[in-house]
Amino acid sequence: MAANLSNAAAIVGAAESNVIGYPMELIGKRVTSLQHHIEAIKNVCDLTGIPVADIQGIFSAGWSGELAEHLGLRPRYLDTTMVGGCSFQIHVHHALAAIHAGIIDIALVSHGEAGWSYRGGGYGGGRGGAQVSPATEMTAAYGIFGAPSQYAHAMVRHFHRFGTTAEDFAHIAVVTRQWATLNPRAVMFDKKQSPFGGPITLQDVTEARLIAWPLTLYNCCLVTDHGGAVIVARPEIARSLRTNPVWISGAGESMGHQNMLEMEDFTATSASRSSATAYKMAGLGPADMEMAMIYDSFTITAGITAEMLGLAPRGKGYTLWKEGHAAPGGRLPINTNGGGLSFNHSGMYGMQLLVEAYRQLSGTAEDGVNGIAGKQTNARTCVVNGTGGTLSTTGTLVLTADS
Amino acid sequence: MAYDKPIPPQGQHTQPFWEGAKAGKLMLPRCTDCNRTHWYPRLICPFCHSAALEWVQASGEGRIHTYAVQHRAFGGWQQEVPYVTAFIDLAEGDRMLTVLRGVDATRPESIKIGALVRVEFEQANEDTHIPFWRVAEEQ
Repeated sequence: MAANLSNAAAIVGAAESNVIGYPMELIGKRVTSLQHHIEAIKNVCDLTGIPVADIQGIFSAGWSGELAEHLGLRPRYLDTTMVGGCSFQIHVHHALAAIHAGIIDIALVSHGEAGWSYRGGGYGGGRGGAQVSPATEMTAAYGIFGAPSQYAHAMVRHFHRFGTTAEDFAHIAVVTRQWATLNPRAVMFDKKQSPFGGPITLQDVTEARLIAWPLTLYNCCLVTDHGGAVIVARPEIARSLRTNPVWISGAGESMGHQNMLEMEDFTATSASRSSATAYKMAGLGPADMEMAMIYDSFTITAGITAEMLGLAPRGKGYTLWKEGHAAPGGRLPINTNGGGLSFNHSGMYGMQLLVEAYRQLSGTAEDGVNGIAGKQTNARTCVVNGTGGTLSTTGTLVLTADS
Repeated sequence: MAYDKPIPPQGQHTQPFWEGAKAGKLMLPRCTDCNRTHWYPRLICPFCHSAALEWVQASGEGRIHTYAVQHRAFGGWQQEVPYVTAFIDLAEGDRMLTVLRGVDATRPESIKIGALVRVEFEQANEDTHIPFWRVAEEQ
């Protein structure tokens, strides 16, 4: 073990929410889990004199995104590990590591659990039963069904701001499909695999049935099964194995919002911030990237993200695909597996990005590990960006091949 | 005809909003320290982190920030496709989601970002009046 974390950080304050125990009996009304969180946070900040705005990392058992949004924060470290009652000891451990690493200086560990007020499932159930979040109350009425119904709003705003068109974004679907036709494991590899498989044209994309205008079917990712895993190890171990290491040269994370109601700029994501952190750590910039793996839940996601990662100017992300740079044989291959659009998308596609980036940079694709050929590039650097929620949260990695 | 679309659940932090809606008033949370209005409702001001919040009646005016046309829906909304969803920039600041009224969903290009909209309420059940926004004539 390289690092000694001992005394690398201290707990500087601790507080509780205003009414704990049996609120009904004490104040005649129930308290929500959210309220317990917010009061405890306010109280611990008041106690220590640390402004809420100075919190850089949020650690909680499943609440971190919602808490960040409720507080209007843009944390650069999010940990929402939920492993039961010991989660909070583990959060402190993770916070210690994050502070020791210099990623953050101030971490919040928060707990809010209306285990009595909203008890569900009988005594000792804990966690609190179903409670309505204000964000849910204020959005539930409006005919929103799943991701496409929300992401479409971002594309319309992009049209408005930059004068882009549905056809501009259709290029992303067409080029990504080209990659899929090179990957036998891609759902859309060919017509045998799927009646919708094989190459597609711009017209196929723009004239496909509408899901949520301006998103047609081919602007939307697949829904499939997937399992994937990666192992991360320290350099001495990495060098001792029979596989080739791919180095994690840079990493960053951030979030803009949890609910699209809070999306400040519908044509931007927090990837501008998460990639800035990752590039800085790597000592590399967008111009040094030889390929990119970009979460393409929708064509708009990929287009915007390319802009946020600095791979194209603002408003011009789609040109990487339109001008063929992102395509097979182009100067900056993007989504060489065929993407969430045409390879595989199980709901949370971030692991597929990692697996493909590793395969391309490590040479294992060339070696045919798992019996699959698929070396698509000679790239030695790759920016990998995952986008979560509704263009909400981003994690960026700068990966480099072993020299 | 009975209201056949999802009726929002009401939590314990938003009663002034729902009470206001019953009276045809759009109520918004405002911070008495920094004076800014926010949406959706919080337990703490998301701008200055004061807990001193109040509910105020809004003007009921806003402008279209962005929109989309929904072609795939379920339940009661399925009968309504295509319909237009939109985010509204409230005159008081911050943003609200709605299903937009007074627009032609079959001609999405005819809908203008920045267009003036006004709030109206539809009664869904005894306790719930839901705000919707309608495109209005510019004065």
